[in-house]
Amino acid sequence: MKTLLNILFISLSLSLFAQQSQQKIEMKIDSIGNAKITVSMNMNAQQWQIWSSSVGNNPAALKREVERGMPAYFLEDFKLDKDDMNRSFTLNFKALGVCKIDKKGDWIFETDQKNAQLTELTDKKYMLVSSPPEFGGTVQQTYIVEFPEAAKSVKTDSDAFGKTIFKFKMDGPSGSLNLARWAGIFLIVVGGAWSGRQFFS
Amino acid sequence: MKKLILPLSILGLGLVLTAFSFVKSGKSSGDLEISIDKVATIMPAAHNVYANKDALNGKYYLFKAKITNTTSNTLEDVTVKYQVPGFIEWTELDVIGEMHPGQTASVICYPKFNEDITKKTTESREKAEIEISWDGIDEDDVVEEEFTFRISNRNEYMFTNIPAEEIAGWADVYNNDALLACFVTPNDPIVQYYTQNIQEKILKGETASVTKDPKEAVRFLTGIYQATLQSHMVYSGTKGIPESLQDVSKFSQHNRLPREIITGNTGLCLELSLLYASVLSNAGLEPIIFLVPGHAYPGFKLNNQYFAIEATGIGGEGLGSIMTAEQAFMKGQEQLTKFIEAAQNGDPRYTIVDVHAVNQEGATPMSLPDDQFLRKKVDDIVASWSNSSESLGYVATTTTSGGTNNGGGSSGGSSNSGGGSSSGLSFTIPQGWQTYSNPSNSAIPIWTAQVVSPNQEVMVSIFDVQASSATQTLQIVESNLANAGSYIQYQINGNQVVGMTNSSTGNTLSWVGKTVKGPKGMRLVAVATYDYLYQQNSGVLNQIFNSIR
Repeated sequence: MKTLLNILFISLSLSLFAQQSQQKIEMKIDSIGNAKITVSMNMNAQQWQIWSSSVGNNPAALKREVERGMPAYFLEDFKLDKDDMNRSFTLNFKALGVCKIDKKGDWIFETDQKNAQLTELTDKKYMLVSSPPEFGGTVQQTYIVEFPEAAKSVKTDSDAFGKTIFKFKMDGPSGSLNLARWAGIFLIVVGGAWSGRQFFS
Repeated sequence: MKKLILPLSILGLGLVLTAFSFVKSGKSSGDLEISIDKVATIMPAAHNVYANKDALNGKYYLFKAKITNTTSNTLEDVTVKYQVPGFIEWTELDVIGEMHPGQTASVICYPKFNEDITKKTTESREKAEIEISWDGIDEDDVVEEEFTFRISNRNEYMFTNIPAEEIAGWADVYNNDALLACFVTPNDPIVQYYTQNIQEKILKGETASVTKDPKEAVRFLTGIYQATLQSHMVYSGTKGIPESLQDVSKFSQHNRLPREIITGNTGLCLELSLLYASVLSNAGLEPIIFLVPGHAYPGFKLNNQYFAIEATGIGGEGLGSIMTAEQAFMKGQEQLTKFIEAAQNGDPRYTIVDVHAVNQEGATPMSLPDDQFLRKKVDDIVASWSNSSESLGYVATTTTSGGTNNGGGSSGGSSNSGGGSSSGLSFTIPQGWQTYSNPSNSAIPIWTAQVVSPNQEVMVSIFDVQASSATQTLQIVESNLANAGSYIQYQINGNQVVGMTNSSTGNTLSWVGKTVKGPKGMRLVAVATYDYLYQQNSGVLNQIFNSIR
């Protein structure tokens, strides 16, 4: 999650303003460990002007900044929605491979933060509120991490470096994806039934 | 029989498809989809940064691999290994316990090169080999990938690692500026030896890092200049600093290391800046490198104020004019004023490298071994210092008379010892506090003075404005500070004010103050401390606040 903090570096000037800013970052993890990330934020007039002139009006630059800010992941499917009237934006993108399965078969999601102060909203949804010191405490970030429906026994732990991690159990996707096999079985049934009917008629 | 042809064909097709699906799923090898994102060049000077995933937010790596399981089987213990022949032996990067069909893993490689890579004086093209295997795979089916990349020589510094066609602005051109700190080598035994000699032979002792006295620190800065001047060090150019976004030829520079500058007795602007930064850091000061279009110059930060010197003022006999240490310092300060103006106007070409700050982020210096031959060369250079008593005169004058800018530094103000009380600034100045008049060097014209506690934790700022009320006074102060990049929030209660300032340097200050009658109409006297120190300094704040009249 630390790498996500850098999303704000694209609008570094925001830290210049004493007014408290709020940023919401939602991470929805899917059944194969990828995450759909949504970043949303409201700004005051001055912040909006600076953000728009730096990256808001140049989505390619915004994408590149986010990619540079999250070097650990492969990112795709960027989509930026701006609401100029209300000075807010929503940025959606997908981060591949944010969760991994360890040798014990547990899914692991690393927060990259020591002693992360997490709040359990539901058994599959956690919240973390932070105020990064690099912004002088003027930006409050609210992270919401949502684990997939199939996730079981979600719990927090620490890695070897004392950083907070999430551990959970989850079965792999079912084998029903083998279309060739199911199509073949379907054709056998149809062909067999049709042949039998023709043969006996 | 004819009517059975079609249904039997469908049946047959079904059998073929079913059989094919089993054959396909049984063969899982070769069906991993791999995508490699690699770096173009590795700079040996920054090898510690590449090795550390926490350094500079982990943006410097050798490669990252996107591995997607496109088979219909779950793969177990997927192991990713790599090697760089001649530099790094086969090393396990990651073991992924399981990879389900469709699952993607992102594996990133922070290569651990040996220290001796800093001895590399030629560039070379190297190959990285990657192997991906998993439980039950045949040896022949192990996935192998490779790519080539460049390892530059130890002196090469690339201003950016962004491809030329991707450069969109100056932030892109200076994308690697934090890595300059890797070329600043305060722990190099040769630099240490050189610093000790400056302290002893040029400065005859110094206390800059202990007293945190700007005057003493400036004496140290000019002492370094004096040392280079007396050893007849000369300025020599090479590929310089980019001046325009199209200046692709200058996106890399050959930097002689500080030890090579000392012993080679020549350097260009950036190299001299690295030398100064190394010596300043070794002496316990906070070195800063100022980067401007086509040029760089060194300085330091003390008590949140910047100081600079024009290190290339040494010129050389072949180049004509040679500045004295005083002239070089004045020139540096002049440039610094322009720098601050440009930076405040948002010109992205004006940037600084705060060496210690980026050190803390993981951009650590390369380590260099001791070298008796180089020490001998330093001895020869030091011997030349004692042959030039004329030049030493300036330093002696500075020491005794404080002939340079007295602690105002970038602000160009003057200082006093602040002993006892003063009625001139509308409050009682405690013993030992330093007073700086015009601390912003007219950047904030209404800022009359600043008084700073010996431990630098408490500051009193005095603003004189043409106003007739407290509200009007605060509005004018707010507007002036905003123009200088600092923003305040405040509440007024009669003539008393409580507020917070977010300064352009990123600090947050909490303050209390009063508006009183002043020479221009109204005066704001504000007592401030860093917000995290507010509790522990509240007694001092109250004491000064109560003395405002």
